Amino acid sequence: MALNDEGQTNYVTLVSSDGFEFKILRSAACIAPTIKNMLNPATGWQEARENRCIFKDINGIVLEKICEYLYYNEKYENCKDIPDLDIPPELCLELVMAADYLQGMASRRRLAKELVLSAMQFDRLTRFLNTLDLTC
Amino acid sequence: MIAGRGRSKIRPPRRGIHGGEEIDFEQTWKIIASAFNEIHTKNASKLSYEELYRHAYRIVLKKKGEDLYKRVRDFEHDWLTTQVRLRIQDLLSPNLLISSQAIGGTTTNERRFAGEKFMKGLKDAYMDHHVCMGMLADVLMYMDRVYCQDTHRLSIYNSAMILFRDDILNAFSQDGDSISVLELLNHVILEQIRMERDGDVIDKHMIKDCVYMLEGLYEGQMDTAESRLYVASFEGSFLETSRDFYRAESELLLRESDAGAYCRHTRRRIVEEQDRCRSTLAESTTPKIEKVVEDELIKNRIRELIEMESGVRFMIDNDRMEELSLVYELNARVDPKKTELMRAMQKRVVEMGTEVNNAAIAASQAPPPSEGADKGKGPALEKSLNQQTVAAIKWVEDVLQLKDKFDLIWKNAFNSDNALQTALTRSFADFINASSFPRSSEYISLFIDENMKKGIRGKTENEIDMVLEKAIVLLRYVQDKDLFERYYKKHLCRRLLMNKSISNDVEKQMISRMKIELGNNFTMKLEAMFKDMTISEELTSGYKGHVAQLGDADPKRIELAINVLTSMTWPLESMGGSGDEEGKTLKCIFPPAIDRIKRGFEKYYGEKHSGRQLTWLAAMGSADVRAVFPKVPGKEGTQKERRHELNVSTYGMVILLLFNEVSADVSLTFEDIQAQTNIPVSDLVRNLQSLAVAPKTRILVKEPMSKDVKPTDRFSFNAGFMGKFHRIKVGVVSNGNKVESDRERKETEKKNDDSRGFCIEAAVVRIMKQRKELSHQQLVAETLNQLAPQFKPEVTMIKKRIESLIEREYLERIEGAKVDSYRYLA
Repeated sequence: MALNDEGQTNYVTLVSSDGFEFKILRSAACIAPTIKNMLNPATGWQEARENRCIFKDINGIVLEKICEYLYYNEKYENCKDIPDLDIPPELCLELVMAADYLQGMASRRRLAKELVLSAMQFDRLTRFLNTLDLTC
Repeated sequence: MIAGRGRSKIRPPRRGIHGGEEIDFEQTWKIIASAFNEIHTKNASKLSYEELYRHAYRIVLKKKGEDLYKRVRDFEHDWLTTQVRLRIQDLLSPNLLISSQAIGGTTTNERRFAGEKFMKGLKDAYMDHHVCMGMLADVLMYMDRVYCQDTHRLSIYNSAMILFRDDILNAFSQDGDSISVLELLNHVILEQIRMERDGDVIDKHMIKDCVYMLEGLYEGQMDTAESRLYVASFEGSFLETSRDFYRAESELLLRESDAGAYCRHTRRRIVEEQDRCRSTLAESTTPKIEKVVEDELIKNRIRELIEMESGVRFMIDNDRMEELSLVYELNARVDPKKTELMRAMQKRVVEMGTEVNNAAIAASQAPPPSEGADKGKGPALEKSLNQQTVAAIKWVEDVLQLKDKFDLIWKNAFNSDNALQTALTRSFADFINASSFPRSSEYISLFIDENMKKGIRGKTENEIDMVLEKAIVLLRYVQDKDLFERYYKKHLCRRLLMNKSISNDVEKQMISRMKIELGNNFTMKLEAMFKDMTISEELTSGYKGHVAQLGDADPKRIELAINVLTSMTWPLESMGGSGDEEGKTLKCIFPPAIDRIKRGFEKYYGEKHSGRQLTWLAAMGSADVRAVFPKVPGKEGTQKERRHELNVSTYGMVILLLFNEVSADVSLTFEDIQAQTNIPVSDLVRNLQSLAVAPKTRILVKEPMSKDVKPTDRFSFNAGFMGKFHRIKVGVVSNGNKVESDRERKETEKKNDDSRGFCIEAAVVRIMKQRKELSHQQLVAETLNQLAPQFKPEVTMIKKRIESLIEREYLERIEGAKVDSYRYLA
């Protein structure tokens, strides 16, 4: 596997609780602080040595969406007029929890906004906010 | 609406959505604790971050953050006190402890090794702690973010650092010992620095690492820059010991080495300290330690340093540019005004300037070189090398040399510092205008005169420019510009009338330079003099044409070249011979041939400009006379008449023409000549001297033959005169520009004072006309101000002039005013 300047692989593997594996760019993955810590070469965690992160609390569907988000985030960094990320409403809750677990990603606000937008389509906004205890 | 709000925190759901499974805190903590143990023993590679993170995450989700936080802290405290502290205490070798109490007893090397070992152990412990806590903090990130933030706790990393400080650094180094590890560390670092200052090589990286540790730890709970342990605990004592060290060192150095070495050493120390801060300590200390070195080595010592025997005076005298530059640099560090250096420099300038002044006075007063030695050369030598004039020129050259010297120092060593330049200028002006030396104006003018007449011959334009520039430089310093103008006019007048200047262009250049420097007013009269000369040339050629038209082609006709001078612009009084009172009223009796021409020109001039009166100044003219000497048997047997063209003064011509009237063997007495020509006595004496005494131009024979001319002496034509050249110039004794005698000077000063009086009056009237009413103080101040570019009048003089103006009813005193005030009377 190709290595980058610091002697790390360019791709890392994210594994879901149900065994799906996602190989994504390291730079995209490290947007999430938790993943970044895991892969921090200075500490020498198991994940860092194997370039493989296993998430026991996240299932494949959610992890796929997270990967999509990570790429989406990297792609539109420093851009204007960013298109909305399509988030199926039934994933919203789990995504929010995963985001919390992963320390909210780089742009928690944007995720929240997208969640809200997609939630609105289904007229579940009020319930949703209650569930989330969103104190806005 | 919600989307537009600011950063909102998304919290985990309250109810156990997360899989819902209950977790056992103790169980989970056990897993975490054992993992931490692994981390501390550097076995982290088997651990999964995700797993640990998930455990900590869950605990916090279950609202057990508080417990987790406490457990982690207890765990760290335990680790530090049981494991780390022991390791540190093992490092405390007896050497280290001895040295901390009393220096001596052990060798430097032993102490250094002990110190390095101790520092290394401490540093390693800190680095381990730092790395481990970094990892722990990563794992406990969720706790930091959620629990610590909500409850306003320190992050786990920071609180672990505090633990390190309290459990390791602030712990006593040994049980029952009163010195803490931190104090010991400070002491060891200071010891090492002391060793380095004494020339030993120390492990800078090690110290830097320890400093890094001190910089990473804080004294209180707050993380401010001032409370870093480095600042709070180490820096102060570092500065204190440095101050003591340098104080002692400066004393030793001042006693034992010269100023140059001291400066070099000081600079080296400063650079060393800067380097030390960069490589061993912290950059933030640089300005502080610099200040300590500057205070101790420079500020408190600069006066002693500058006044040392090998101090600034010695450096200036010996052109020690490098050392002077060092002194400058050091002085500039502690004092932007460089007061001490400036003082020393000014003192030296004035000293050296006064020496030059005194040398000039001494040279001008010394008895002339013994008569016997140069009897042969006689008056010719006396004329060209008048001692005083030489002294004057030497003075100017000395001053210029001094100026060059200090300019060079200023440029090379003082970094072309503005303030110092001002000070230099002031000092030069001080000694040039010193009241004990009133001749500077005259000397400078003489210097220019000398150069105009001889000095610039054969020089390139650039060199001439430089000479002129030098003269201007000196002129800038002169305070009494009016006195200078007077002398310059006098000297210029002679140069122009006697055709002594080498180049008219250079004269004009000089004047235009003065114009730039001193303004239009100053050069107006000088320019008028040049204008007169040009007009005179036109007049001469005009008259020549006029005579030619008359058609009387007399072969013996005498040619006339005339200079018509405006009496206001030319300093005629100073030209009218040597100031004989009666000489001015007496009119020279010209021989008939000359008189005819004179009248002819008067007529011609009267036609051109009516109403102008011409006064003939025979004392200033010169004439070319063709003389025929009778045949004398020459050595080669040539038997022809000898013709010479004699260039003599007008008076000389008048005298010579007298002998045309009488036969060759008749002699005339001095009194005869005087009666027939009416030439003033002193001028007559000088002219006869040059005609009858000077060996090369002895056209007359004097009886008895002696050097002095007495009223009873008899003169006759020297038929046997022998001359080597066809053209012979008969110089008149004391014809050139030279230093004035004391009597002349008094006169010049008196005249100057008179004209100053007018200037003052004019200034006072100008001011009062504008202001109408003014207090005495203000009036004096303004007058001084207005006249500053010309001269510096004395206040008593101004007072007198005001009195006189009141008498003449230009002004009146305001009655009953609180302060003396005047009113202008229109």
